[in-house]
Amino acid sequence: MDVIQIERLEAFYGDMQALFGVSLGLRAGETFALVGANGAGKSTLMRALVGLVRDRRGHIRLGGEELIATSPEQIARAGIALVPEGRQLFASLTVEENLQMGAMNRRRGPWDLEAIYGLFPVLRERRRQMAVTMSGGQQQMVAIGRALMANPRVLLCDELSLGLAPVIVSQIYDSFARIRAEGMSMIIVEQDIERAIAVSDRMACLLHGQVTLRVEDTARVDIDALSAAYFGE
Amino acid sequence: MILRILTLLLAALVIGCAPLLLDDGQLSLGMEMLVTFVICAMWNVLAGYGGLVSLGHQAWFGIGGYAVFIASNALNVNPLWLLPLAALVPALIALVLTPLLFRLKDAYFAIGSWVLAEVFYILVQRSDALGGITGMPLFTGGMLGASIYAQVFWVAGGLALAVLVLSYLVLRSGFGLGLMSVRDNEVAAASIGVNVRRNRRLVYAVSAAGVGLAGAVYLIPNYFIQPGIAFSADWTVIMTFVVVIGGIGTLEGPILGTLIYFAIRQGVTDGLGLSGSWYLVALGALAVATMLMAPKGLWPILRDRLHLDWLSVRRPWPGRPDRAPHHQAPAE
Amino acid sequence: MVWVETVLNGIFLGGLYGILGLGLALVFGVMKVINVAHGDFIVLSAFIGVFLSAAVPGVSPLLIILPVVAIAAGLGWAFQSVLMNRVIDSDDMLVPMLLTFGVSFVMRNIMLETFGATPVTLEAGALSRASFQVAGLHLGVLPVLTLAISVVLFGGLNWLITRTEIGRVIRATSDNTAIARLMGVRPGRIYALVMALSLALAAVAGLLLAMRTSFTPSSGIDRILIAFEVVVLGGLGSFWGALLAGIALGVTQLVGFRFDANSGLLYAHLLFLAFLIARPNGLFGSK
Repeated sequence: MDVIQIERLEAFYGDMQALFGVSLGLRAGETFALVGANGAGKSTLMRALVGLVRDRRGHIRLGGEELIATSPEQIARAGIALVPEGRQLFASLTVEENLQMGAMNRRRGPWDLEAIYGLFPVLRERRRQMAVTMSGGQQQMVAIGRALMANPRVLLCDELSLGLAPVIVSQIYDSFARIRAEGMSMIIVEQDIERAIAVSDRMACLLHGQVTLRVEDTARVDIDALSAAYFGE
Repeated sequence: MILRILTLLLAALVIGCAPLLLDDGQLSLGMEMLVTFVICAMWNVLAGYGGLVSLGHQAWFGIGGYAVFIASNALNVNPLWLLPLAALVPALIALVLTPLLFRLKDAYFAIGSWVLAEVFYILVQRSDALGGITGMPLFTGGMLGASIYAQVFWVAGGLALAVLVLSYLVLRSGFGLGLMSVRDNEVAAASIGVNVRRNRRLVYAVSAAGVGLAGAVYLIPNYFIQPGIAFSADWTVIMTFVVVIGGIGTLEGPILGTLIYFAIRQGVTDGLGLSGSWYLVALGALAVATMLMAPKGLWPILRDRLHLDWLSVRRPWPGRPDRAPHHQAPAE
Repeated sequence: MVWVETVLNGIFLGGLYGILGLGLALVFGVMKVINVAHGDFIVLSAFIGVFLSAAVPGVSPLLIILPVVAIAAGLGWAFQSVLMNRVIDSDDMLVPMLLTFGVSFVMRNIMLETFGATPVTLEAGALSRASFQVAGLHLGVLPVLTLAISVVLFGGLNWLITRTEIGRVIRATSDNTAIARLMGVRPGRIYALVMALSLALAAVAGLLLAMRTSFTPSSGIDRILIAFEVVVLGGLGSFWGALLAGIALGVTQLVGFRFDANSGLLYAHLLFLAFLIARPNGLFGSK
């Protein structure tokens, strides 16, 4: 059974509809990539899953539990964590305090401060520093660490590579092997299609708020079909 | 348009003839209602259209009153002839002080203007020349004769109609649109060439002038001015609550709110026999309830129920974004 | 010597003003709302204190502070949960402030009708008359004690906000409420807690103020304006800035008082306006 089932999901910003019946399923332990052009609805989908887009319809089921009408804090407790686009660290908190915020739910699991510091040793050195004064890559590590601290059943990563140098992005994605090894199910949004293909098991392409292509095995991607789905030709 | 002009003429006729039918007590109450409408409409123009919530507007009420009392006593001239001063003096002081006051934004502006009003209040209270805490009489009051209530009623009525027409015209003009765009999005308005600062100063000064006039009209028939009354924070409270209850940012809101305010006052004081400030408690409670349950005020609800759109300055939206799939959310 | 004593008394008074502002700043920092009813809650706390000390005569007024603080915190929690949380998400930032304005006005007038307009003081008995001499200076015990309490409260709140888990959650909510919710934080709870804390602080300051000067139901206006000036002068997010601002206002007020006995808060207000003139770029940058 899928960890998370999304059925006919619609999302609205006021009068504007941003998602038009998106259906997806995430299998336990897999990494699922979402690609698509700017404005395709990828971030909206992420934000709708965690309840940050309030006006949403359809079904979001986490292990069978319906979350479509639940508040962000309840969804967090149910076990979905988001690494938000642009990192969005707490500006008046240190690195360690930011990480501790992730553990507010008191969910049990393998991820605690020690485990995060093991994953990103540089954070241990800088744990007393204000998080927002660090480099972009280190901030991204804090954002990932903060989400992991919740020991979620599903980890959502929105545009990890945004504004970061390619070598830093590679370092960050290298850590994914460790996260996957702990059995984490993940949905990642990625602008860089090659990277998305490389790190994911399956993927989907979004355009104008709808799924235009599903790839069941990223080892065998039809690049022409993907391009058509991406640009809507 | 014709309907609106007819309504206006009818209102003018009613105000013109009222003194023939009403006694002094009723005229006094009528004048008070008209003055209340004026100050509320002026506060509404500032807050509802200009986006500037002032919690210190009692300053202009008092300054307008004192300007006329001082000048009339000094020049020995009929105070009604000196009413222009009640507009001019507050407007000028407002223009001088806005560069200072506008350094504060939003909630800070609201409380900052209150501090300023307190300063005016304390200064007047401490001035021996102005009679200090006890206040001072209007020596020229006798010039108004026995028909004083009719006279101030007419002036208040004319002022109310002028405020109504003026706010309607201003808000339909380009200036009004510029003003509302500043309220809605300051940065965007500035980027399309709206002179944010100048517009705000102007609307603030006009609002101060209107409240000053109303203050003088209200205080003249008392023949006496007292800082505790002229600068009472209750004036601003009434402006705020009436507008919030009636509907902030609508022209009809202050009319409806004023009627409700007086209904509450008469109802609580005469109907329930509760003296003192209980009617103010009721007004405040209604305002709080309105903010919780109908934050846009009661007029929009009434308008939708009755399908009225009598004075609205709303313009039809040029086109709604449809929900076709090719429109995307702004968030991405 | 008289002047030194005046300045010292201004400092003692200023510590209390600092606490008034601190409570207001705490709420503003987390919810971005100026609680206009802050002053009226202070006055209400003082009335409750007067009532309690009359009910249990012989008990030190300093002990009365404890139950009053508890009541004030409860009122703050209820005020936030029942009323404020319903409008806190409003698109228009001014709606919550206008709501507090409404509550302020209702409270003030109910107190006027209930307690009358006659000035009241909280009797501190022997404590209010006790004094001592240091280096030729004649100082009251109560004012010195007041300053000590102020400093302790400042330090305590600073510790709570910067060193404890609840403080961390409050800071995170203030930084980014939406993201804090993703961590499972219920903002309504945090807001209620912050309001309880703010009004508890206000109650302490309100009672200590009531021991040194008389007050009426209308005193809330003076209290909120002073608290607001402390917040603006001290700068947001600066604990010790608020204390300094409070002291500056307290000293200004009492020195002004020496010059002219009817000045009330005039010179404190003028100091605030002068500060506005002196800072031409606005106090908070763009916002």
